[in-house]
Amino acid sequence: MSPSLENVKVAPVGPDYRSESTKPTATISTPVPFDTVTILPQTPQLIALLSTIRDKNTDRGDFIFYSNRIIRLLVEEGLNHLPTVEHTVTTPVGRTYDGLSFQGKICGVSIMRAGEAMEQGLRDCCRSVRIGKILIQRDEETAQPKLFYDKLPEDIADRWVLLLDPMFATGGSAIMAVEVLKSRGVAEDRILFINLIASPEGIKNFATKFPKLRVVTAFVDQGLDEKNYICPGLGDFGDRYYTR
Amino acid sequence: MHNSDHALPVRGNPDADAVILGAAGDRADGTISKRAHYAPPWADVSIIGIAGSSGSGKSTLSQAIVSKLNLPWVVILSIDSFYKSLDPESSRKAFRNEYDFDAPDAIDFDVLVERLRDLKAGKRAEIPVYSFEKHARLDKTTAIYSPHVLILEGIFALYDPRVLELMDMKIFCEADADTCLSRRILRDVRDRGRDIEGIIKQWFGFVKPNFEKFVDPQRKVADIIVPRGVENHVAITMMTQFIEQKLLEKSKHHRAALTRLEIEAQSQPLSKRVTVMEQTSQLRGMSTIIRDIDSSGEDFIFYFDRFAALLVEQALNNVSFESITINTPPGHKYSGLCARGEVSAVILLRGGAALETGLRRVIDDCKTGRILIQSNVRTGEPELHYLVLPSDIHEHEAVLLLDAQMSSGGSALMAVQVLVDHGVKMDRIVLATYSAGRIGLHRLTTVFPDIAVVVGNLVKDVEERWVEKRYFRC
Repeated sequence: MSPSLENVKVAPVGPDYRSESTKPTATISTPVPFDTVTILPQTPQLIALLSTIRDKNTDRGDFIFYSNRIIRLLVEEGLNHLPTVEHTVTTPVGRTYDGLSFQGKICGVSIMRAGEAMEQGLRDCCRSVRIGKILIQRDEETAQPKLFYDKLPEDIADRWVLLLDPMFATGGSAIMAVEVLKSRGVAEDRILFINLIASPEGIKNFATKFPKLRVVTAFVDQGLDEKNYICPGLGDFGDRYYTR
Repeated sequence: MHNSDHALPVRGNPDADAVILGAAGDRADGTISKRAHYAPPWADVSIIGIAGSSGSGKSTLSQAIVSKLNLPWVVILSIDSFYKSLDPESSRKAFRNEYDFDAPDAIDFDVLVERLRDLKAGKRAEIPVYSFEKHARLDKTTAIYSPHVLILEGIFALYDPRVLELMDMKIFCEADADTCLSRRILRDVRDRGRDIEGIIKQWFGFVKPNFEKFVDPQRKVADIIVPRGVENHVAITMMTQFIEQKLLEKSKHHRAALTRLEIEAQSQPLSKRVTVMEQTSQLRGMSTIIRDIDSSGEDFIFYFDRFAALLVEQALNNVSFESITINTPPGHKYSGLCARGEVSAVILLRGGAALETGLRRVIDDCKTGRILIQSNVRTGEPELHYLVLPSDIHEHEAVLLLDAQMSSGGSALMAVQVLVDHGVKMDRIVLATYSAGRIGLHRLTTVFPDIAVVVGNLVKDVEERWVEKRYFRC
């Protein structure tokens, strides 16, 4: 059984100067009614990147390269939510530029193992960033997610946290990861959950449970299938990135 | 005279073959009425013809002029490149030294005229390559593109009235017949392994009668008759001064055309195809570090590369995509997009090379052409120095033209013209630049309304190029 087709939004995609009839159509992200959720602009380039990594025939090399491109775009967007202060500088040609300077310390926290695949993209944007790790696995007996391991920066309470996990399905592990972060003193509104593909269900769960936490995603899919996989999704991200 | 002194076009610049490129393609024609016209300085090439008997010193003279000028925009074209391919019968004769290479019939003037007209129109011209070993044209051709002055050299350079019509200066090299014969004997024995008997047979059988019949009469249409060839310093100085004068005129016209476009452009709003990147806090924060004169070199490069990758990502939204349906591993279908074809890049040196790391983060194996355009220090006129493009560039779905900065738009204008001249359709060109001024943007999009432009920052109009100095740290 597939999730309802009501969520499928097909639209012409392309730059504004082209007429609607000359733009190719594609399925774009399902809209969601939460201010805390940022979906990347549905540009033709982003849709093409997602098409490549979703395609089951894409080989591992391409999967890694194109995923990294999307991850960088996600990190760039995520960083826009961090505070800045005005800062004026003198340019090499002697003009002044009224710019901004970045404020606040950050760190990454990846949910093992798929989240670790997003670390390279984070490092491409933020040199020598501190990165914590959390291992959450499904408990065989209860079928509930269980925390197995975590290693986080000691001063994490003073930092903004970019929580990394590429596939946001039901959000079970992400919810647990956020609980861990909160228990270490991280304020909810200082957590940014960065993922590539989300489900409407996961987003709704999260927004209800953590109304101040921000989510940055490239695409909200139609929904979850009977195995709780995102549909149409891209399969197991960690497998495709690391081992397949 | 079929023993060519040099069958290939020769440039005055040591990087000669760098300017010579592969196959040409369709030309994009700009048919939009409001389009302003831009004439690059090579649009109306000045052609100088040098004719004279075999051994009269034409090619030495041409080379002396080119080396005295020492400019990459002066090219020598030998008429020997235009020998007709021989039919089997003539070919057999040629191998027996019995074919008359010294008559005008041996030259394919139709092709010569066509190529000269192309060059006169500022287009690329494919010059045939003639093999003297095979007595046939080879499959390959050599391209000439963008000379400002072309010297056409050969015994029949002043023969065809259609060629004469295209010429700006006609020179006839005169030398004593004894000198010519002795030079020919020395050259053919030393360089071509001929025996003296054969040379003499050819001289009296073909060269001399043809000289009297066809070559010598050309002096009547010549503007200048130069005796003693390369030893004639006064004549060489006169000719170089004439060429320098021509080059000066061309430069003046070019600069005037650029100024005119600037004035026309000022009154119009920015084209819809110009995208200025959204100034998000990250982008402004990066730009603050990039522009701060006190930033370390390390920081500058790190943030510039990061910015460049975003700029290239943005530029790629302007290429053409088509709908596709793919299957995901869980077995669902997704209707997505893929680019219609290959996307390549052309780096506008030196500034554009600062964007190359960013480019590789987005397209790791991107085919990349390079163009060096420099502004003349005295006049500010952009000058095309070097050019290598992928040979199939006209077939690419999109070509990203990368430059770090664009202020007046002069070099961008020239670079786009070069791409259009190489068969790239205007609507397949996407210029991406870290910063640009309004005048430059206007000027460029008025001339080329169908190109897309992606700009990292809008800046005040005239800004000295500083990004490349910071990026390459010199």
